[in-house]
Amino acid sequence: MSAVTPNRSEYAPGMAGVTPPRILIVDDRRENLLATQALLRPLGAEIITADSGEKALNLVLKTEFAIVLLDVQMPVMDGFETAQLMKTRPSMANVPIIFITAISKEDHFATQAAQIGAVDYIFKPINPDILKSKVSVYLDLYRQREQILQLNASLRQSNEELERFAYVCSHDMQEPVRMMNSYATVLTEFAGDELSDDSKRYLDYIRDNAVRMQKMIRDILNFSRVGREEVKLEVVNCREIYDEVVHEFHDTIVRKHAVVMSDGLPILKTSPTLMRVLLQNLVGNALKFQDGSQPPEVSVTAKREGHLWRFDVADNGIGIDPAFSSRLFTIFQRFHREDDYPGTGIGLSTCRKFVRLCGGDMSFTSRPGEGSVFTFTLPDGD
Amino acid sequence: MRPQLDILLVEDNEGDVEMTRRALTTAVPPVRMTVANNGNQALECLHKEGQYEGGKTPDLILLDINMPRMDGKAFLNVVKESTEFRSIPVVMFTSSESPADIRECFERHANGYVVKPFDGTEYAKTLRQVVSFWGSTSELPS
Repeated sequence: MSAVTPNRSEYAPGMAGVTPPRILIVDDRRENLLATQALLRPLGAEIITADSGEKALNLVLKTEFAIVLLDVQMPVMDGFETAQLMKTRPSMANVPIIFITAISKEDHFATQAAQIGAVDYIFKPINPDILKSKVSVYLDLYRQREQILQLNASLRQSNEELERFAYVCSHDMQEPVRMMNSYATVLTEFAGDELSDDSKRYLDYIRDNAVRMQKMIRDILNFSRVGREEVKLEVVNCREIYDEVVHEFHDTIVRKHAVVMSDGLPILKTSPTLMRVLLQNLVGNALKFQDGSQPPEVSVTAKREGHLWRFDVADNGIGIDPAFSSRLFTIFQRFHREDDYPGTGIGLSTCRKFVRLCGGDMSFTSRPGEGSVFTFTLPDGD
Repeated sequence: MRPQLDILLVEDNEGDVEMTRRALTTAVPPVRMTVANNGNQALECLHKEGQYEGGKTPDLILLDINMPRMDGKAFLNVVKESTEFRSIPVVMFTSSESPADIRECFERHANGYVVKPFDGTEYAKTLRQVVSFWGSTSELPS
């Protein structure tokens, strides 16, 4: 194993556990180095020593350490100065430093050590058991951190694999589903007169379900595209996108006698695709989740809150059962029968994923039977 | 209007070939369709080799993206980099609605990008519109 520290952000899974954690002991007196080294050897770490501050600094440039033990009194560059320079390196920012001193026992030295970022300030003569137990705590912390990093890396990797899988799968499923649908149509046209009513009905089942599957595939593709494809920021007139979206729902609005209104929609720098996806889903849901006892009322409003824009999409629909609220943004979660409220259970999860990718967030409040308000925030990209 | 439009359909899915053939029987102008199942076969067709010996250079190429061996994008590259064939209009005809695919095909100088409609009736109508545009509305290099 080379002494080169792997870059944190591209930390390879499986690395931790292979390399034992390293302890750096810095002392200008050889007999002290040997003694501390012997004391800490049973802890199972690799021990590296330096007899000056300069040498210690050189080592931390090349090697990652779990902990540094630093003598305060050293010629040329003392422990404080060494620690200060070490802490200027980003890779050293989280590495615990323990000072060991025989002379500088006054409180203000300990304070100075703490200010530099030392985790402990120990006086000589050292109590071997105490030093050992302190170092072992930091080694454990280091090992745990390594494990978490490793776990995170493998989780990230398996997430990426899953998303890629979903994308490829749904991408390739489009064609066979389209073919089923098309040929059900061709068959109906071809053999129309010869088909019994039952046969026609069965062909309709095939077509209806192919159409439903195609919607699911398209929604899954849209979901997995978020994050795969680069987000382009443009100056977006939200009012224009709102108008386009409302226009798309024209037929539904007329059929349900719905009232859809907006107020204060800004011009801001964001992704136009995001804005369209959000309004399509939220206005669409607001119009859809209605029990028909009254005309739907939907309002889309925005206001500035600090550096964020806050958008509210409010409706007078059926509301959301609190029992479902924690799963509302989870992909494929559906809370109604297809016949009552058709859908794929992907829209809201796509919305929240996209909003978060763009630096905002999404939430909702709801009273069952009275309506819901979906809120999302977006930073102005300027 | 041209008396006839010679189309090379590059498509590996037999179901799609059949759908296209059915749709184009009533196309205006009338269509003579040659089929290649992948990019390699399509190149043979352009070079009038093998099963395509004695054929005609197509007026229009309808090109699927996902195909075994040489796929649509690779074939598009070859056509548009060839001085001999790059003047033949190539219209992508694919299931993919991916913005990345659309961008990539136009970057490789596709002359059109048509997403195969999900509905069978729309599918046929769209194909006839493509033929009508390239065979009637648009002029083609002779």
